[in-house]
Amino acid sequence: MEKPSWTPIVLSGAIPREATDLLALLVMGIVALEASLAPVAPTVFSSRLWLSLLVVPPTCALASISTTTRRTREELALFAYGGPGWQILLRYFIRGAIIALVAFSPVLLQGFLRTTSILELVTTAVVLLFAGGLFYSMPSLRRIRSSSFVENYKS
Amino acid sequence: METRSVVVEYPSVKGVLRLYDQGVSLKVDQGDFLAVLGGSGWGKSTLVNVVLGLEKPIHGSVSFREHDVTRESFVKRCSLVKTAAVFQRPTALPQMTVSQNLHLALSLAGVPRKERDERIKEALAFFGLDKIERSYPDGLSAGQRRRIDLARALAVKPELLVIDEPTGDLDGSATNLLIPLLRGLNRNQGTTIFMTTALPRQASQAKHQVHLRPPLYLTPENKMIGD
Repeated sequence: MEKPSWTPIVLSGAIPREATDLLALLVMGIVALEASLAPVAPTVFSSRLWLSLLVVPPTCALASISTTTRRTREELALFAYGGPGWQILLRYFIRGAIIALVAFSPVLLQGFLRTTSILELVTTAVVLLFAGGLFYSMPSLRRIRSSSFVENYKS
Repeated sequence: METRSVVVEYPSVKGVLRLYDQGVSLKVDQGDFLAVLGGSGWGKSTLVNVVLGLEKPIHGSVSFREHDVTRESFVKRCSLVKTAAVFQRPTALPQMTVSQNLHLALSLAGVPRKERDERIKEALAFFGLDKIERSYPDGLSAGQRRRIDLARALAVKPELLVIDEPTGDLDGSATNLLIPLLRGLNRNQGTTIFMTTALPRQASQAKHQVHLRPPLYLTPENKMIGD
């Protein structure tokens, strides 16, 4: 009797190789790095906020890429309705910015209560806003600009 | 609306797929109903995309009201001639009801809020969609979704209506209703219609027809392969 081979399982995608897999890997990697380095070098990593901020770009990109099919439908509809490209991107930018700000609200609130300098707090909020918005809207920009985008209008 | 010697190319497995070997030149006058007839894969949808500014030709030009819009976006073209497009694949937003989809389209077209309700009511009644105005597109049939797209396009009251294979996924009875409806729209409201189709019988119902030729396959050295 022939033995089943492992090759098809490996070839058919057991190894992470898609963009979403890599982004998930990156997010977890940053969190793991932060957790492992904090006790080793507490002086350097006393302010772990900036390291935590590194998870914003890959997480927002992951959220944006993970529902590409649905988003493409939305983008096609908005274009067909006469919506300009910048409006489509702006809605993603705002969505990404909100996600980042809400997720980091405990950190921002803590900073506010500890009376950290207002400048530092505002800088953090602005960085969050831009990083979240930019990385959430970038996959959409890439999709819209792709030459195959309008092929989706054909059945 | 006019296209002059429009040529489009795509990379293909064999080399280059060239649609419109000699270039497509056509003119649609105001109030006209033009049907572009061609087989599957002959470039009808590509021509629609070129007219709307969604694809750019490698040669030739597209003009709206004698303004060269070849490199302009769809939005810019709409500002010259109020244009609405209905594509082969239904485009209604899945998370919005039929009525909300029309509201969104009208707000993007800059229709004042006061006028929207009335226009939507008219368009929905015209296409027999008034009973499903609160339904979501994903729960509807292909024919109903096609009619949502048409209602959305017509609610804008476009000067130019561009339709890519209007009866592609409709059954016989819906098909029989649609073309007379487009003719009525063209005759009674003066809407200029640019339609593509693979069916000669359908094309014959338009005021004018243009016949496309099959595309060419070229090698990297620009030599023709096969037909």
